[in-house]
Amino acid sequence: MKVVDYKVPNGKMLKIKLEFQEEMIKSITILGDFFLHPETTIEDIESALIGCKIDIPTITMLIQDVLQESESTLIGAEPSDIAKAIEKAFQQ
Amino acid sequence: MEEIRFIDLEVHSAFENMAIDEAIMLSMKEGKVGPTLRFYRWLPTAVSIGTFQGMNDEVDVDFCKSKNIDVIRRITGGGAVYHDYNGEITYSIILPKGHRLVPDDIVESYKILCNGVIKGVGHLGIEASFKPINDVIADRKKISGNAQTRRHSCVLQHGTVLLDLDVSMMFQALKVPLEKISDKMIADVKERVTSIRDILNQDIAIDELRNALRNGFSDALRVKLVPSALTSEELKLAEKLANEKYSTTQWNFKR
Repeated sequence: MKVVDYKVPNGKMLKIKLEFQEEMIKSITILGDFFLHPETTIEDIESALIGCKIDIPTITMLIQDVLQESESTLIGAEPSDIAKAIEKAFQQ
Repeated sequence: MEEIRFIDLEVHSAFENMAIDEAIMLSMKEGKVGPTLRFYRWLPTAVSIGTFQGMNDEVDVDFCKSKNIDVIRRITGGGAVYHDYNGEITYSIILPKGHRLVPDDIVESYKILCNGVIKGVGHLGIEASFKPINDVIADRKKISGNAQTRRHSCVLQHGTVLLDLDVSMMFQALKVPLEKISDKMIADVKERVTSIRDILNQDIAIDELRNALRNGFSDALRVKLVPSALTSEELKLAEKLANEKYSTTQWNFKR
């Protein structure tokens, strides 16, 4: 399992724990000191990412979709920051 | 003037404190209690982590156990906090969704509620200001961290006000990611976090801070604080939540 810390510029800390198979996400936990309302949406984001290709635009769009569908608000990080952090974990 | 129920400074375990916050929300959701402000301390001293953090990533759990420091996961996001029994007062304010003090814009609502802390430390002669997203700073350093959740048809914001800072204990209890420090180009935590006693160089008593915060919240939020107590139903619910949720490994170590 890969683990990385990613400090969002002018934002919060993200910690990504990632397992992947070829270039797909096999398991992921998104940790950090960000805010997400409602908080339960984190699990929806994590499960939506399973099987997703590790690619910044794809991951960003997928997270945006989950946030929109669940009417959730992410504060202290943008979907693209989470995507960047995931890519960083993958490349590590 | 609008009245808010005020639960004056109490001392509880970490598990009781977080359970009381949620019990108040559930009771408010049922329409049984109105807007509430409470002040409290943590005994034993404790570490709380944000709801999205990993316990073992943030906390040296073995160290905490050896020093009788409780560890707990909050229902709010944000970072890990060292709650020194002798070094801080924590407040929680619980308001129904749609209340004038909690607009939909979350950062704006932090700003409004943090004014209570700002005015409060102002009564002690400290000039503080709001630093988005969720901090209050004085002398360019953090003096208060705050966190919000919106659920059960309520908004809960809780936050700490640092009276004193035991940096050595805090950093043995917490694991601080190196990247956070290097990003800010500041290796020394003392450069980032401060306390009331540090700034004033005076031995301010906990009751003085309590009085200052009480006046600060009342002024800043334009409310009358009505001293009161938790209802027996809230107490019963809090006990259940403390036992069945907040003190369990399943909750505290779920991430």
